[in-house]
Amino acid sequence: MAKAINKIQRFELSPEDKRKKDLEEVETALIENKESILELITVVNHMHDRGILSLLNGLFGQGDKVLNVLVKAADKPETTNTLKNLLLMVGTLGTINVKQLEPMLLKINSGIARVAESNETEEKTGYFDLVKSLKDPEINSAITLLMTFLKGMGEDTSGMERNTQLPEDQDLHKRESNTVNGSPSNDK
Amino acid sequence: MKSEFFEKGWIVLSESQNININGVNVIAKPNQTVLELLSDSSIEIPQVCYHPSLGAIETCDTCIVSVNGELVRSCSTRVKEGDVIDTATSDVKEAQTIAMDKILYNHELYCTVCDYNNGGCEVHNTVKAMKINHQRIPFDQKPYEVDDSNPFYRYDPDQCILCGRCVEACQDVQVTETLTIDWERQEPRVIWDKDVPINESSCVSCGHCSTVCPCNAMMEKGMEGEAGFLTGIAKNTLRPMIEMTKNVETGYGSILAISDMEAAMRDEKIEKTKTVCTYCGVGCSFDVWTKDREILKIEPHAEAPANGISTCVKGKFGWDFVNSEERLTKPLIREGDSFREAEWEEALSLIAQKFTEIKKDHGADALSFISSSKTTNEESYLMQKLARSVIGTNNIDNCSRYCQTPATVGLFRTVGYGGDAGSIEDIQKAELVLIIGSNTSESHPVLSTRVKRSQKLNGQKVIVADLREHEMAERSDLFVRPRAGTDMVWLSAVTKYIIDQGWADEQFLKENVNGLEDFIKNLEKFTIEYAVKTTGISRENLIQIAEMIHESKTVSALWAMGVTQHLGGSDTSTAISNLLLVTGNYTKPGAGAYPLRGHNNVQGAGDFGSSPDNLPGYQTVTDPESRKKFENAWGVTLPEVPGLNNHEMVEGIHEGKLKAMYLKGEDMGLVDSNINYVQAAFEKLDFFVVQDIFLSRTAQFANVVLPASPSLEKDGTFTNTERRIQRLYKALEPLGESKPDWQIIIDIANRLGAGWNYTHPSEVMEEAAKLMPLYSGVTYERLEGYKSLQWPVAADGTDSPLLYTDGFPFPDGKARLYPVDWTPPLEFPVEYDIHVNNGRLLEHFHEGNMTYKSAGISEKTPEVFLEVSPDLAAERGLNDGTLVRLSSPYGNVKVKCHITDRVKGKEVYLPMNDTGEAAINLLTSSYADKDTDTPAYKETRAKLEILKEEGTNPLPKINHRYGNPQPQIGIQVEKKWARKDYIFPGDIVKKERNQHG
Repeated sequence: MAKAINKIQRFELSPEDKRKKDLEEVETALIENKESILELITVVNHMHDRGILSLLNGLFGQGDKVLNVLVKAADKPETTNTLKNLLLMVGTLGTINVKQLEPMLLKINSGIARVAESNETEEKTGYFDLVKSLKDPEINSAITLLMTFLKGMGEDTSGMERNTQLPEDQDLHKRESNTVNGSPSNDK
Repeated sequence: MKSEFFEKGWIVLSESQNININGVNVIAKPNQTVLELLSDSSIEIPQVCYHPSLGAIETCDTCIVSVNGELVRSCSTRVKEGDVIDTATSDVKEAQTIAMDKILYNHELYCTVCDYNNGGCEVHNTVKAMKINHQRIPFDQKPYEVDDSNPFYRYDPDQCILCGRCVEACQDVQVTETLTIDWERQEPRVIWDKDVPINESSCVSCGHCSTVCPCNAMMEKGMEGEAGFLTGIAKNTLRPMIEMTKNVETGYGSILAISDMEAAMRDEKIEKTKTVCTYCGVGCSFDVWTKDREILKIEPHAEAPANGISTCVKGKFGWDFVNSEERLTKPLIREGDSFREAEWEEALSLIAQKFTEIKKDHGADALSFISSSKTTNEESYLMQKLARSVIGTNNIDNCSRYCQTPATVGLFRTVGYGGDAGSIEDIQKAELVLIIGSNTSESHPVLSTRVKRSQKLNGQKVIVADLREHEMAERSDLFVRPRAGTDMVWLSAVTKYIIDQGWADEQFLKENVNGLEDFIKNLEKFTIEYAVKTTGISRENLIQIAEMIHESKTVSALWAMGVTQHLGGSDTSTAISNLLLVTGNYTKPGAGAYPLRGHNNVQGAGDFGSSPDNLPGYQTVTDPESRKKFENAWGVTLPEVPGLNNHEMVEGIHEGKLKAMYLKGEDMGLVDSNINYVQAAFEKLDFFVVQDIFLSRTAQFANVVLPASPSLEKDGTFTNTERRIQRLYKALEPLGESKPDWQIIIDIANRLGAGWNYTHPSEVMEEAAKLMPLYSGVTYERLEGYKSLQWPVAADGTDSPLLYTDGFPFPDGKARLYPVDWTPPLEFPVEYDIHVNNGRLLEHFHEGNMTYKSAGISEKTPEVFLEVSPDLAAERGLNDGTLVRLSSPYGNVKVKCHITDRVKGKEVYLPMNDTGEAAINLLTSSYADKDTDTPAYKETRAKLEILKEEGTNPLPKINHRYGNPQPQIGIQVEKKWARKDYIFPGDIVKKERNQHG
């Protein structure tokens, strides 16, 4: 006669056995991941040395509070502007052709070096000196460069602005919409 | 011949529509929309409200293109010969941008901190694709609060873009007709019923709305604060964060890039696994999203073969049981008056020892095995293999004995295959659907939506024969209430009337059917007069049924437990099939017999031989050839005599013949009929092993209880009511020390010396497919992902969505009309004056072991109730909440009343979702279908007495049954267009151009 029963004696591990089992599990995990754990310890040590750990401790310990303060602080015009500028700058940086920029930058560097070398003098450059210095090949090439640059700067780039232009007016958009990306299938 | 040629020629002409797209000539399919044509090409057109499963909704206007110089919505414009389509002009772009701008006015883009940022957000993706960087009309908050009242999903009006997908799905796919958009008010929004909180509406929580919502407006609560890395942040921090995100915006481009990154990171922690639902025989498949052990949401996919985007409340939201604390995680061994948790080793040894002892002392037939219609095909296969090849007995059965075996018998007698004649798609296509004894919208919710939709939109006719006026009855074109247990009579009378009128399909009968003469002779007694007298259906209605069948080119007959659970269940099923044969309603799309399988794998459990007389693939144990095949494959000698079915097993235990039972995934102690008798049998067993995920009522009688894993924790296949075989994939690791059933069965078999070495269910299927002609071509590769096969599957993988197109599986290829007679239902002494109908509820599965674990379901439907008619209530002085006792000759139940006009007169309805004092099977008898031993659950009568007059209503006011649906077709976009503040973007562009040009 097996009457219906619904009592269950749970299989309870004694605290010692539980501890032993847990330790075994941890031990296995440690051994299985020996390499990465040893490396992690080194990293943690470095973090401890530099005080990063205590910083993070405070941060995580007060998670929501800190985040709240952070977000509220960040949501101020100057901060959001910084972030905004940063995002815009990052976007613009992507469009710069470093290959072309490199010689320019070298030239600017060398100019700056010159300025740094020359001591502040009382010497003044007159109009005549200016015209005369055009003959100096170094100055002449610099002036030509600057004039080309100014020309480029005057070109209309409004079509490339993503910040102010409607999509249909953006070059990017125009270029793509003018081409059919392949033709539709001909199945009947 | 000539006209046919002409016709074909005409079709070819109509097919070749020459269209010009952006200067390129293409050919369009007939009746295609511009959007469909463009979607076939590589041109991408924005489409926010369009959903392939919903069709054109026309609310978003983002898909505007130019057709012959006019700006039109491409989703709703059909292509015509010679059309010139332009998708690239600045006018088109301008119009699309205006449309998108209006959407963004309704939706705040804070993607990175949004739980819907999972790569599928249509708003996000469209903004990105259109390269929109700013909006001209800034977002504005709406004057409405978030509606958080429903336990499963919430609606945020501030994020709602008013695309109307949810309304379209609710009105015309699910057809519960709860959602509308109120276009009249200043700030339109989605409303429930007549603008009540979600939880007080007629919403059945099927989840369609949250599934189709293109953004985070209608969202599953499981996702809230869980899906993203930053979305779990406290509300008061989230708001400034959203503001900051918006202030930082340098245009959406950079913000979207960050949110795309975050979305990609989410893939690391959210797993998406395809699974198949276990709550009924429809076989819905979908992805389950999990994060560790947490279930975030169920995500249906359009390509799911049985259900597409559809689900019901159980499939979409009823998975809490998987992580329930009540799950069994270790084997239990009975010790005195309690169970002791034990190690697998000990439990398995004990089982092996006891099975061996009992077999030695009493013979193999002293043991019995019960497989489950909830477990996989592979598990059913292994269970019967254990019984037959390891123990050596055919005492193996499963619970389809309780529901659908009579239907299978009816089909075997007449058409030769024991399964649905076609697919759900055929039911959808049928001109007439005949529903007999099936509460379809509660028992097979997703399948019922296909009928509801076809009837609402496509002129399908529906006839319902039932005792209860359930939803399908309410919606039907003709509803008849035959006296309980008399369906066979009216079916036969209608068949006879059709033959007498000369409406039989003579040609079909001549070419495809045997036995007409004997059949007609046997029908003689079933005159209309006799049927009126016996069934109580009026003469007019009977003739109307016959006429409606006659006038329909295709008839699909759906039936379920209202037919099968009677003394003559097999005969009534046969009568249905006979009627279909006489009217030629087999072999063509949209027609046929559809016994609706109750559980996810009722079909598969039968297919794979969990039955005392059939080896896998319906190859009988008495046939020496079949036996030989399996003996060769398994290397054993198999028993030749059919075993006991589960009804006979209970008898066998009482008689002392049967000593041991191994039962899995079945709460037989509650779901078999006359459970006092069944439980008394369990008490007499020498050794009882129960394998389940919970300590079910049945498990409480066991000597050993083994912890099994539910579907989400295992691989395998199920076969649904359409004979459709689908794969499920393991989404979670088994909880604790629980194991998938297939592993447990293998462990037990190997303890008994079987030497099985299956390592994955695919190996089991491989073996089974070789032995089962019906499954010849079934392989796991062919079932990968959402792929499926409908048996019979030929060796080359060709499957059979529609049966009998190449004849019927009898020697001469012809079906058989099988004469049957009526078996009157059980008679009870007069004092048992109440007829107790019983069956399912939409929101609970069976006795409720799984669904009561869902807090949401339990909140809305906390306990079982007795549906009582207003007449009976008035006569006996019953109110909502009155506690009554129903007593039958076999037992009694105590249950609270709920007064409703779904039931009439002295008929009450007791749903089966109780495990205690209101369990229906305390009342049912051991009488059964004369051919299959399926219990006659539906032939139950009782007397009623009041125990306590006043009580709380067992059905709380937040149950959907109190709601007020607001039927309409679709979203009614014309009302949006009629608003003063609406101008079609195409017209705005045209006006601008005129002004400037």
